[in-house]
Amino acid sequence: MIRRLIALAIICLITPTVVQARPVSYTGGWTFIETSNRLSTAGLLHYTINPKVSLGLRHERMRDADIDMTMAQGTWLVKRWFGKDYQANVYTMAGAGTISDNSGMSSIQETGSFLGVMADWETRSKFVSYESRFLDKGALGSQSMHAARVGWAPYEGDTGSLHTWLMVEIDHREQLKEDTTVTPLVRFFKGAALLELGYNLTDPSPLINFTYRF
Amino acid sequence: MKYLLTALLVASLPIGVSANDHHGSMDHSMEGHDHASMNHDDHDHAAMNHDDHDHSAMEHSGHDMSPKHALLTRTSDIDKALMAGGQPVVVDVLGVVCDFCATAMNKIFGKRQEVAAVYVDLDKKTLSLALQAGKTLSDQDIEKLAEQAGYRIAAIRRDSEAIGG
Repeated sequence: MIRRLIALAIICLITPTVVQARPVSYTGGWTFIETSNRLSTAGLLHYTINPKVSLGLRHERMRDADIDMTMAQGTWLVKRWFGKDYQANVYTMAGAGTISDNSGMSSIQETGSFLGVMADWETRSKFVSYESRFLDKGALGSQSMHAARVGWAPYEGDTGSLHTWLMVEIDHREQLKEDTTVTPLVRFFKGAALLELGYNLTDPSPLINFTYRF
Repeated sequence: MKYLLTALLVASLPIGVSANDHHGSMDHSMEGHDHASMNHDDHDHAAMNHDDHDHSAMEHSGHDMSPKHALLTRTSDIDKALMAGGQPVVVDVLGVVCDFCATAMNKIFGKRQEVAAVYVDLDKKTLSLALQAGKTLSDQDIEKLAEQAGYRIAAIRRDSEAIGG
């Protein structure tokens, strides 16, 4: 366990971010999710208490706005559909915590909260998802995000082999100048680790997401 | 960055997949097509188009003994456990589409002292178990464990039904 925590800390240092692919795991499982996109870098470490609920701690840094948020997050698997060849899920998530705006001469502290919904459908070679989040930053304002993805796997990897997906993500953030952007990305998936690398073509910036289950 | 993306796309080609292909000698031709004992709640076959696998019109010469259901996937750990007298169990699992699913079931079932070896086969959508000699896991226990992993089972087969003997 100590070696895993050290590995996790190293990952956090190398990739100063954190959070969201399959936000509820198996009972008793830990998951670390890191996300880094054109706006922010975020990380979520969560523990799944039962097959429908995970609880975790999330930290997000909005790089340009110089805002840091640390929040407790709960995720609820509302519904999972099982098929012989597919799986579909609807999740809701909510969090609350502190927000620090460091852009001025002195830091402003606020309490904040967010609410989100996520849905996905996937087979071994096709993937569709949608995610929406609303963030209330108290006196610092609010913002919303919508993102949709489609993906295709050029081959079906078996257990433990390298799985590869080609995906396109479209995100919409009405508070930004470039409100709608397109990001092609590649997802690599092997065992308990998932890595996504992409590049936002509309608002040039890299996308780096990483998920690890243990 | 364009070059990086191109390199990533090239890297995504299915190189090395065959290195993990442990099914080369197995006959999967009849897998998943006779589901008499399975839970069909989630996939109503009455409304499905079965044209693409009409077995009555297929040439079956050379594999008359093909199993109607997926058999136990053999790994060295499973073989070792079977040699030691463990019971083989194969479970059809619904919703298994990725390695996270496999990881979840490996972790949940692997923790049980009754389980000597476990393998999740994404191609066959099965969970293969070899139990410890003299131990057993009830169907209800298997169902509960699969639920803890986040999945649902469709059928359980044991002993000769699991290994096709």
